[in-house]
Amino acid sequence: MITQKNQTHTAIRSAIKERPVSTLDQKPARAEGRKDPWSQLLEKVGKNQDREAYHSLFQHFGPQIKYYAMANGLASHAEELVQEVFVSIWRKSSLYDWRKAAASTWIFTIARNQRIDMLRKMKRTSAEMTIETEDLWQIPGDNENEPVTSLHRLMSERRIRESLSHLPEEQTTVIAKVYMENKSHQMVANELNIPLGTVKSRVRLALNKLKVILQDQNV
Amino acid sequence: MNQHHPDSLTLMEFSAGNMTEPHALCIRLHLDQCSQCRSRVDMLDSLGAVMMEQQPQVSVSGSMFGTILDRIDNDPVEPEPLQHGRPLNPLQKLLGEDLTKLPWKRQLCDASVLDISDHFPDQTEQVVLQKLTAGGRAPAHTHRGQETTIVLQGAFSDNKGVFKQWDFVVLDEQDVHKPVALQGDDCITLSILSAPVKLTGMFTRLLNPFIR
Repeated sequence: MITQKNQTHTAIRSAIKERPVSTLDQKPARAEGRKDPWSQLLEKVGKNQDREAYHSLFQHFGPQIKYYAMANGLASHAEELVQEVFVSIWRKSSLYDWRKAAASTWIFTIARNQRIDMLRKMKRTSAEMTIETEDLWQIPGDNENEPVTSLHRLMSERRIRESLSHLPEEQTTVIAKVYMENKSHQMVANELNIPLGTVKSRVRLALNKLKVILQDQNV
Repeated sequence: MNQHHPDSLTLMEFSAGNMTEPHALCIRLHLDQCSQCRSRVDMLDSLGAVMMEQQPQVSVSGSMFGTILDRIDNDPVEPEPLQHGRPLNPLQKLLGEDLTKLPWKRQLCDASVLDISDHFPDQTEQVVLQKLTAGGRAPAHTHRGQETTIVLQGAFSDNKGVFKQWDFVVLDEQDVHKPVALQGDDCITLSILSAPVKLTGMFTRLLNPFIR
């Protein structure tokens, strides 16, 4: 692990040297370890169409995406979704920028969009879709050079992973149902037989601890 | 800088992909213009990624990677078509660039409406564009269900404050509001109604059949 960290450290240093990200936040020490191994692999796929790296990503994320599909209403199309997601990862990989998102976050959004797209296509019997799935669910192309924000983002995934394990189970259960079982807060309340307000306050408490809430009105 | 944003729970449902299409459209239009909410959704997407990673894993069939390689070999990446001019937002792609040229139906001297629910065949909510002439007043009304609104052009004010372009607001049964468009530009909003609007003023009986 330590070796890997040092390698990453060096990689970050050279990346920062190549493309200075900001005058505010250039200290290599603060960037240490930002580029996790999956992000490095994804970058190799994007830059060099590296099939070995692509295969490693497939082995790591394929089984996660298959479970995601099965839990989210695509039980009989789970393998199909994994395929669509990976074809999409290959095609979009040249756009991947490790400074903007960790590979796992980037891949999660592709899996989510492909899941929505597949469900829409299955539901829709006639004609074409009126609005493309990506137009609804893809976060708009960000301004280049929002360096402070991008460092902030990269830190957030690691922080979320660390603090999630400290949350009470009743909070993680609710969040897992929203993300993994395609349930609205109302549906979670119905299923657990608790008031909607309780579900919402559990989520708010969790998001507060995960520091996702920056400013909310009426909270 | 917008003053009125979707709350974190709404953004979470967006990030999880658990929203009807019209609601996702409202959020998407807001995100287009609000870097603060974009960065919140980025964090929520990371939460989604971590949730996905912590679930059980299901092994995929041995032949699948080969199938994927066949697909990418036989169907190479096509370059994105070049965009000319300013990219249109998803609503403009759906309805045309200039919202003022749509076939608006006038309801009152200052207020016009256009029902676009037909563009969203998979859900039961009513999706409407509403237009208030600059400086004009809408009749006081309340909502039987929930009304989610994003301001597309101009601005309006009511007892809760001033709502400017790309502001996002959710109103429910408790809110009786009497919006007034600010001077300058006509105010156009996109609203999703989970139940019909109920007029509260003196024209109630007269107008309710028209404001569905």
